[in-house]
Formats: sequence, structure tokens, C-alpha cells
Amino acid sequence: MIQEAPGFAPPTVAPRTRKTPWQRLWRDPLARAGLIVLAILYISSGLADPIAPYSMYFNDPDVANAPPTPVHWQDDNGHQTWPYVHPVERHFDPMTFRQTYFEKTDQSLPIRLFIKGEDYRILGIIPGDIHLFGVEAPARLFLLGSDINGRDNLSRLFFGAQKSLTIGFLGLFIAFPIGIVYGGISGFVGGLVDNMMMRVAEAVMSIPSFYLLIGLAAILPAGMTSSERFALITVILSLIGWAGLARVIRGMVLSIREEEFVLAARAAGLPEFVNIVKHVIPQTASFLIVAATLQVPSFILSESGLSFIGLGIQQPDASWGNMLKAALDNVNDLLNQPWLIAPGVLIFITILCFNTVGDVLRDVLDPKTQGTG
Amino acid sequence: MRALLLCLLAFSLAACTQRDTAGPPQASPTTMVAGAQNGGVAATAIVNFPNPGPFKLVEVNDPRYGKMECWQGRGESGQFGGTFRVSTFGGGPKTFNPWVASDVESSGLGLLLFEKLVDIDAWTGQPYPRLAKSISISPDKREYTITLRQGLKWSDGKPITADDVVFTFATIVARGYGNSSLRDTLSVYGKYPEVSKVDDLTVKFRTAVPFSPFLKMLPNVPIAPKHVVEPITKRPMEAFQGFWDINSDPKSLVVSGRFMLDRYVPGQRIELVRNPNYAMVDKQGRRLPYLDRFVYAIVPDQNTMILKFLGNELDFLDVRAVRGSDAAFMKQKEQSGNFRLYNLGPDDGTTFLILNMTRREDPKSKKPYVNPLKQKWFNNQYFRQAVSHAINRQRMIDNVLRGVGIPLYTPETIASLYFNKKLKPYPQELDTAAKLLEQGGFTKRGDRLYDSEGHPVEFTLHTNAGNSTRDGVCVMIADELKKLGMKVNYQAIDFNTLIDKTNQSLDWEAIVMGLSGSKTEPQDGANVWKSDGRLHMFDQRLPNEQGKVIVTDAREWEKRIDRLFDLAATSFDEKKRHEYFDEFEEIVYNQLPFIYLYSILDITAARNTIGNYTPTPLGVFYTPLGSLHNLEEIYFKKARQ
Amino acid sequence: MSIPVYILKRVLQAIPLLIIISIMSFIMLKLAPIDPLAYLRANPAISAQAIKAEEERLGLNKPPVVQYFIWLSNLVRGDLGVSTTGGSVFLLLMQRAGNTLLLSILTIFFTWMIALPAGVWAAVNRGQWVDKFFGIFTTIGMSMPTFLMALLLLMAALATRLLPIGGLTSPDFFERDFLGQALDLAQHLVIPVTVLTFIGLAGIQRQVRGNLLDVLRAEYVRTARAKGLPEDKVIYRHALRNAINPLITLFGFEFAALLSGAALTETVLAYPGLGRLTLEAVLTKDMNLVMAALMLGAVMLIMGNLLADILLKLVDPRITLE
Repeated sequence: MIQEAPGFAPPTVAPRTRKTPWQRLWRDPLARAGLIVLAILYISSGLADPIAPYSMYFNDPDVANAPPTPVHWQDDNGHQTWPYVHPVERHFDPMTFRQTYFEKTDQSLPIRLFIKGEDYRILGIIPGDIHLFGVEAPARLFLLGSDINGRDNLSRLFFGAQKSLTIGFLGLFIAFPIGIVYGGISGFVGGLVDNMMMRVAEAVMSIPSFYLLIGLAAILPAGMTSSERFALITVILSLIGWAGLARVIRGMVLSIREEEFVLAARAAGLPEFVNIVKHVIPQTASFLIVAATLQVPSFILSESGLSFIGLGIQQPDASWGNMLKAALDNVNDLLNQPWLIAPGVLIFITILCFNTVGDVLRDVLDPKTQGTG
Repeated sequence: MRALLLCLLAFSLAACTQRDTAGPPQASPTTMVAGAQNGGVAATAIVNFPNPGPFKLVEVNDPRYGKMECWQGRGESGQFGGTFRVSTFGGGPKTFNPWVASDVESSGLGLLLFEKLVDIDAWTGQPYPRLAKSISISPDKREYTITLRQGLKWSDGKPITADDVVFTFATIVARGYGNSSLRDTLSVYGKYPEVSKVDDLTVKFRTAVPFSPFLKMLPNVPIAPKHVVEPITKRPMEAFQGFWDINSDPKSLVVSGRFMLDRYVPGQRIELVRNPNYAMVDKQGRRLPYLDRFVYAIVPDQNTMILKFLGNELDFLDVRAVRGSDAAFMKQKEQSGNFRLYNLGPDDGTTFLILNMTRREDPKSKKPYVNPLKQKWFNNQYFRQAVSHAINRQRMIDNVLRGVGIPLYTPETIASLYFNKKLKPYPQELDTAAKLLEQGGFTKRGDRLYDSEGHPVEFTLHTNAGNSTRDGVCVMIADELKKLGMKVNYQAIDFNTLIDKTNQSLDWEAIVMGLSGSKTEPQDGANVWKSDGRLHMFDQRLPNEQGKVIVTDAREWEKRIDRLFDLAATSFDEKKRHEYFDEFEEIVYNQLPFIYLYSILDITAARNTIGNYTPTPLGVFYTPLGSLHNLEEIYFKKARQ
Repeated sequence: MSIPVYILKRVLQAIPLLIIISIMSFIMLKLAPIDPLAYLRANPAISAQAIKAEEERLGLNKPPVVQYFIWLSNLVRGDLGVSTTGGSVFLLLMQRAGNTLLLSILTIFFTWMIALPAGVWAAVNRGQWVDKFFGIFTTIGMSMPTFLMALLLLMAALATRLLPIGGLTSPDFFERDFLGQALDLAQHLVIPVTVLTFIGLAGIQRQVRGNLLDVLRAEYVRTARAKGLPEDKVIYRHALRNAINPLITLFGFEFAALLSGAALTETVLAYPGLGRLTLEAVLTKDMNLVMAALMLGAVMLIMGNLLADILLKLVDPRITLE
């Protein structure tokens, strides 16, 4: 990955084994924590179907806007027992306008592990119907309460993770190739073409990105399915991110063109293009990796910003952004319903982890810190 | 008065179904409550301030102008002084010119600045003279002789005379300066009334045929100061748009209302100051309004408004500010915030589901607007009735409005003077729905519903994006229709796109939307119910190349509704008018071109330091006037600076 | 090349850029299959003729290319047109831009005032608790969504009743004396400035720290140390001057970004700024307003870059402007 400068000897007394960047990353406690949390988030979002007690669309309209289901650990005599819940009932007091949920304590239903629930297909492929935990009807296990339609917030957080977490990477897979190819060609060809191409890139960069984002999102035609919309939003996010990258790549290509080893390779008869690719990629690799790690959170933020205004992922699909929007509708009562903030907290944690890992990665891959004491 | 009794009757009937909600935390296993709480909120005390009777005319001697005929306030005597702070949400008014105003916010500002010739009484919902002192109607019901009060002055001291009235109606409105809808609301069969001056204080209107809603439509038009506005009308019409626009000097406006425009802080606030020439007095003969200043802040949404109110930056929250989801929270804060919530009963707006019943082809593309398969379903009365019976309205209210709303089955809101109380509400009845579908030729096989030709029933449901309430409603409808075997694909789209679909492209299948209405005059909805109406959404006829709307395929009941509206418009017999509108509502109840869902409750919040706040269900206007129908008498119990 | 000539050159270069931007924005807006008059159409009180009149007034029924050139020719004459809401676009922008500018300037001021010393402090004490503290602080700042933070602060304001909720001025603003007005403005600005500073501060502090660390490792610094210069002279006289360079470029971006970037924060806090105005305009497809706001944003970005380049030249004599 990183080219070792030939003939370099570390000026330390005792010889040390050089650690790979990965090992150095892992040794840093913050980065390690970040990686672990990210792994947990991604794996649990991938396995959302079996882990979450309910599916994304499941709803019980009689138990809407409910607070988290109280879980009981003690029986009537005060002894420790296997956790159980009661079914709830909604009452409305016309004097205070308040809806309250009362537990129907005559029925107790235990929390079951590996309970048979709704059918699903993990990642659309593997069928199953066992859920990690849950309760039988008519009780509901809404650990983070339910939303306006009676859907389980906790389950939807898992499914929302699927959208919000993947959009970051998917956007990357589109933006980066575009940026690299665009910048590469521009730097490679040079001259007037280079000039024109860079002007366009600058123009894109000069439009305030947020407005570009909502402008593009607002263009999306109405009759799309949610997955089509998801794909198009990903594309839009990438269209925002490629220009800056293109400029950097172009600069690198331009400088590399004149480097000695390129001239040498040219003299040896290698086609120009292969030449550049062979030399550009390694040089820019570390930059690209760090840039990627730090671009993903920006995509996640953009998506949540979009959904927040209502232009991103739409109901009834869940994404952290549009779930947070629901919290905003109840901002006055937020102190009484703090669980509504959960999507925001998750967004924050995810971005935090990416940034932490990215930081350490940058230090780790920084050639200046390689091999110094 | 009668309306109030009707309302009380309706609500006490509903209250009889109310369950005892004060039960202990442990309910018995058999009492699952969904639906039975309906009576709850309907039985909550709706404001019931006693009707003080009509205004009294008194003669006042103004030191500057001499004799002035003033109305006497009907509330208690209050104290002078103070700044009343309220808020509206949105972007703020677009113009200061009330004749150009086409949006609610600009019209709302106009209500504060300009007095009406004739206004609607907050208790009875009937028209009464406001700038005028008397109205007389000729025996043939076509002529209205309206006499102004003596001695009235504009805010710049010039007299308000019949010239101003004639100028307003014969020039501004008749010729279509500004918002040409004003002309339409006053016209019957497309004919605008003749306006003539009888003497300095008297005006005569002559309608082409007897037009009974005429007096109720007059309040739509503020009277203009001829000496200021006439010069502009001599210029090309576009100049009028720019007259008194949002960038003009606020102090340059010449008004007749309780307040004058003092300052406009763009995007933030509008400040109004007392109009010293306002011709109303209190019971002690002192000139109103009591308040020195009236200030309203422009905020982006309701949440901010509530936060500001609780943070003591506002004194009052008008209708639409306290939503269902806010009601419980606000009620809780009454003590600590030193305010009270007032329940004004059901709002005049409606929320509904419509199915696209258009059967025509797009003349440009020669393709039918709606898939012919689906046309058959939507035009099948059994289908629509089944859909209506499958919806659980009470549960919808419980979920999206947190219980603070009333189910609706008719085009007239329950609070309307013309509400047909014979039309019975019905709860969700899936069995009835299934039977209706069978009668309609549909069969359910397994999970799916098939029409008589074997096609599975599937359609798309739209509503505007970004609105959690509509969203919640659509998800519930899709779920409930699924139980009947229908596959409903719900998609939220941008508001602009939605309007484009309903107004131009007609490319939609089912939509959930809302419209504002009127509690006092169903004729207000003519645009919606007439077959050629601009908002005849379930079967929108579009104007042809020449801009005319020609209706070729009206159904029998559509034609009947057209006829009923025409009859009601030209009949002065109140009893007959009620019959006409009752029949219209019954047709809609059975035919269900609009499947109504619910009405929200109008809840306001006022600090306990505010005096003379006596809101009524019928006295609700565009905010910021809102429920402050007697704004001139509002005062602070201890004058606040 | 002297500075005034350089400025002129850059301005001329900027013109084609602005034209490209305007075309791109225009295309984007026109592609949206919507209708700025949707709100009018949905209002039962408005007649069909009234709507048609509005269409005429806004020129909406002409082909797009024609509309673009109409807009362009108006722009050159200084007429930014009329918004679909009725006001003059120019006045609307000026009013709101002033507010956003106030917010931006205060934010930039506080951001740099905190970030510079903090970055230096952290770099000089690399690895110690100060550095770690700022590391965590800035990581949180970079990870927090602006609208979330604005919301939390709003709730805190409500709970403590210390600060006003949203907006820029109180209802009795104009009745106050100068000091009262200043205080009122300050109170209303606390929350927005805090949100934007906290988040902006993170990036700058890290840059300062990073650059200073790079510079401190450089040859000439070792030379200075070897010469026996006291450490603080080394840092402040030599290292910092050089570490500043990349930051000036950042400054240019920040300036432009702030004028347009705070849209969500402004929306949550009901702050009457340019960001919120533009956001609403895009959502309602208010063509004239959006075009003007986008152009304004682009102009600010270009100006910011220009400013940064000139500052760079002033600070570092080695840099030549070509």
C-alpha cells in the first residue's frame, strides 16, 4: 500500500518490527472503540430482521404514540423473576386532553427469546421467522415506544440504520469513481480540456452544497417506489461530493506526470495511461482512504438533513433522518418523551465513530509518522 | 343562537356514548376501548359565552371632527394601554394591499387594518352593519340599500363616504384590480351587481337575480379610501399590484380599522398602533380600542409559536396554533403559565380522501386521465361506500390528533349553521364494507380483492410530504383497506406536485387532503361543488383552449347538486335553504365523492391577564384577528407596557 | 502584478463561472415538475382568472430558454425580479443577508478567537490532557448535526428561561435605547452563534493544531531551536506565521459557507436569515428568489476565495500572484 522509500533506515538504536497500519489502528483505544461500535451498528442493521422484535411496517394502531413498554422483573411477591410485560390500553381524558396508557395487569406475558414472529428475508435472500426476542400478542414489546401509527420505534431504528448507514457507502462508491476518473482525465489530458473541466468542477463547488442538494431532491419525480427514491438520493448525494475530489486527483496527476519514475517508465515504453494509473493510485491511496472515511459521515448527515425536511427517504420507510423529524414535531413535549431523540443520538454516535477512526487512520497512514520514534 | 343549541344537542347525544374514563389503572380484560372514547372530546366544554345581543349605536362628539356615530362595545369596560403580542406562522404577508391579497396571511393583515361595510356576527353567524349603520333589502330581494354611519373618518382624517364604497365595488372589484376572485364571490350566474350612490352616506347594490348569500359575501371586500387609491387605478392594471406592496412605507397606509400599520420588520414582525379615528366606544363612552399596540411575530411553524408563548414572549395563541398533539401538554401548563385553554369546537376545515372519478381523455394525449380499469372501481358507489365504512375514523383521531378531533362524514363541518344532523355517523364496519363490495361485484379470494373482471384491486394514494398528520392518516387508510383485500401504494409527494396533479395533469388515483370551509355559508364552497368549479377535485373539468370550462359528462347527482346550489343562492327562505343544503349533504353522504375523515378542534390559549376575551365558534376569522372578533375591546387587566 | 490588477483579473475570470452556475441552477429549477403557483391553486377563494394573471405577471407561460434570457437581461439591469410572494427579490435578499452576515461575522470571530489559541495550545502540549480534551471536544463538534444541537439548546433555553426563543429581536426592540437594542440582539444571537461556533470551531482547531505540528517538525524550526531561541519565540515568531497559510484559504471558504450554510439552524431557531429564505424559496420553487440567492451564494464564495488569496499574499511575501 504505502511505498517504502528505498534504503531508509530508522535512526533508532534497537530494531523494531514495523507494524502494519491496521495494527496501529487497532492499538489506539479510541479507534478500536469506534471500529467496534461501527461493526456492531452495521452487523445489527444487516441482521435487523431477526434481531428486531417487529418488522419495519408492523403496526398496532391501538397502541400508537405509546411510551416505552414497562418491563417487570419482579412478580407480585417481590421475587426476582423472568421479565414480563402487560398488554396496554389507551384512555383519553377529555378534561386534560391527555391520552394515557394503562397496563392491564391481569395478563402477563413473558419476554421470549427466539420467538416465532413475522416472516422476513434477511437482506432479501434468507427467509426466516425467528426473532431474537419479543412477546406474544396482545402484548407489545415497544422498548422505545411507538410512533404515530403504532409502529415500534426500536425495530425501526434497526431498519433505519439500514438506510442511513448504507447510503454513506453507496454514495462513496459513486462519487469516488466519478471524481477519480474526472480528475484523472483532466490532469492527464491537460491544456484547454483540463481548463474547461476544472471550470465546471469549480462551478459545481461554488453552488452552496445544501441548496444543490435540496434542489436536486426537489426535482425527483413523484411516482417512484421507495427503493428507486433511495437510489436516486444516493446518486444526488454523490453528485455533490465528487468535485472536490476531482480537483485534488487532477492536481496529483499533473504533478506525477512530471516525476522521474514516470519519465523513466515512459522511456521504457509503457503506455502513458497505464503508467499514470500505476503510479497515481499508490500515491493517492492513503489520501483516498482517509477522505472516504470522512466523507461517509457527511453523506449520512446530508441524508438526515434531507429527510428532516421531508425530501429524503419517505414514510412509511424508516431512516434515522425521518424518524428524527417525528421527534421535531413533538419538540414541546420532548422532555416528556425523551426516547424520540434516539435517532439523533445514533446519527451522532455513528458520525463520531467514523470521525474518530478517520482521525487515527490519518495519523497512521501519514508517511511523516511512519518510522519515526 | 339556534346554531349553538344544535351544537349542544349534537354533543350531548355523543356524550351519551361516553364511557367512564375515570377508571382505575387496572382495567378489566374485556374492556378494549378503541372507538368508544369518541364522546370524550366532543363533550368537553365548548366555549359558551352568552350572546350580548346586537350592537347599540351611540352618538359621540369627537373634539376634532364633531359628531360621529359609533357602535358601542358589548363587553365590560376595560383599561387602556398595553401591547398585545401574538404570532402567525408562515412566511408573513406578501403585500399590504388587501385587494391584491390572495393568501391567508395578507388577507389576515387586511382584517386588522380595514373595517368591513358589513360583517358577520360572532354569535349568530348573521351579517350585520359594521361601517354601515343600516341595511334594508327591497321586497324583490334584489336591492340592498346600505347607509353608512355619520362622521366616520379615515386614519388621515378624511371622511369615509359612499364615494369610497362605490369606488371600491364599482372600480376596484368590478374591473378586477388585484385579486379577481373578489368579483366572483359577489357575482351570481356570472353577473356582478350594480353599485350606485344614493347620497353621501347611502349606497345601493342591485343584483341580477335574488342572491341570498350576498350580504355574507360583502365582508370579503375591505372598503378602500378613494382619495388615496383612485390615482393608481388610472394607471395600467399592473401598477395596482405594486401599490402598497410589502416594501411600501407602513405609515403611508390610510386605514379604517382598529389599528394602523406602524412598522414592518421583514421576516420577523409586524407592528400595529391604535387608530385614533376608529369609531367605536365602550360602555363608558370612551373611544376604543383599548390596546396601544398590536404586534405579531412571524414564525416558521407552530412549535416555535408554542415555545414563544410558554417563554412569555407572546400573550395569546390563536386557532391552529395549539394542535391535537399539543393540547395535553398545554393543558398541563395552564397553572404555571397563567393562562387558559379555550375550546372553540370543530374547525371549519375538512380532511378527506378522494378517488379520481374522472372518465375523460386528455385532449392532448388522447389517453384517459385515469386507467379505465380503475375508473370503473372509483365510479362504483359500492366501492366508495365500502372504503368509507372500512376506515376507523375515531382511531385515526386518537392516533394522529391524540384524540383531539371529531369524526366527519359530511361536507359541512359539524359546527356549520347548515350541518345536516340527520346524517348519522358510523364507526368502522368491516363486515358491512365487505358486503358492500360483494354487492358491487367484487370478490375476495384469499388476501386480495378482485373486481368483476378478475383484476386485482390496487391503486396509489398520495398526500403532501412533510406532514406527519397526513402521513399517519394515509398509513392507516392503506392498512385498513388491506383488510378488505385492496393493495394501496402510499406515496408522499411534494405539495406543488400534488396541486399540479389535481389541477392540471389529473394524473392521480387517490389523495388525502384538506380544504378550508365556512361555518356560516355553504355557498363559500361553490368552487368545489359546482360541476365546473375550479376545485371540483374528484372530477376536475379543465378549461378548454378558450379558457372556458364546458361540462359534458355530469352525473345525475352532480347536476342535482348544481341545481341545489343555484336554488340556495337565489332563495331567501331560510327554511328552504336549509332543505336545499340538507339534500346536498345527503347526496354527498351517500355518493361519497369526498370521503370525509375528521375535523380538528379549534383550541386557543389566552393569558389570564387578558380581559374581554369572549371567543365563539362562529366568530373565527383569518389570523391574526382569528378568534379576537372583538379585538377593539380586548384589554390587559393591569395595563402592561 | 499589483493587487488591484489581480482583483480585476479574478473578477473577469469569475464572470463565466457565474454564468455557468446560473445556467445550472436554472436548469435544475426548471427540471422540477412543479408549479410556483400551487398554493394559489389550492385556495378555494382564488378564481381561475386571478391565477392566470399571476402566471402572466411572472412570465411562467413562456418557454424556458426565453425565461432564462429574460432573467439574465433583468439581472444585468439590476432588476432581480419579483418573488412569487410579491416582494422585490433584491430587497428581500438584502434584508435577510444582513442578518445572516451579522451571524456569520460573529461566528467567525468567536470561532477563530477560540480555535487559534486552542489549536496552538493543543499542538504545543501534544499528547497531554489539553490536547486530548480538545480532541474529544472537536470530535463531538464535528459529529453533531446542526439541527440537533440547535434543538437541544432551544429546549435548554426554554427550561432555564434565560434566553429568548428564536427570532432576532423582541417585540419592543424599537422602543429600547441603543444599549437596550444591543443587549436584545445579543440575547437572541446567543443560541445561533453558539451552535455554529461549536461546530465550526472543531475543524479549525484541528487544522491549526495539525499545521502547527507539521511546521514544528520542520528544518528551520530545529535550526531556530539549535540557535538557542526561547521556545515561545520559536512558536509565535516563526512557526505560527507559517502555519497560518493553509488557514487563510479555509477562512475564505468559511466566509462563503456561513452565508449560505446555516439554513437548517436558521429554520429550527426561526432566525430571519438568508439560509432559511433560500430553503423556503427552493421548497416553493420561487424561481426569481432562488436564482438570486444561489448567485449571491456563489458570488460570496468567489469573493471569499479572492479575499483569502489576497490575505495570503499580504501575509507571505514568497507567494506571487499570477
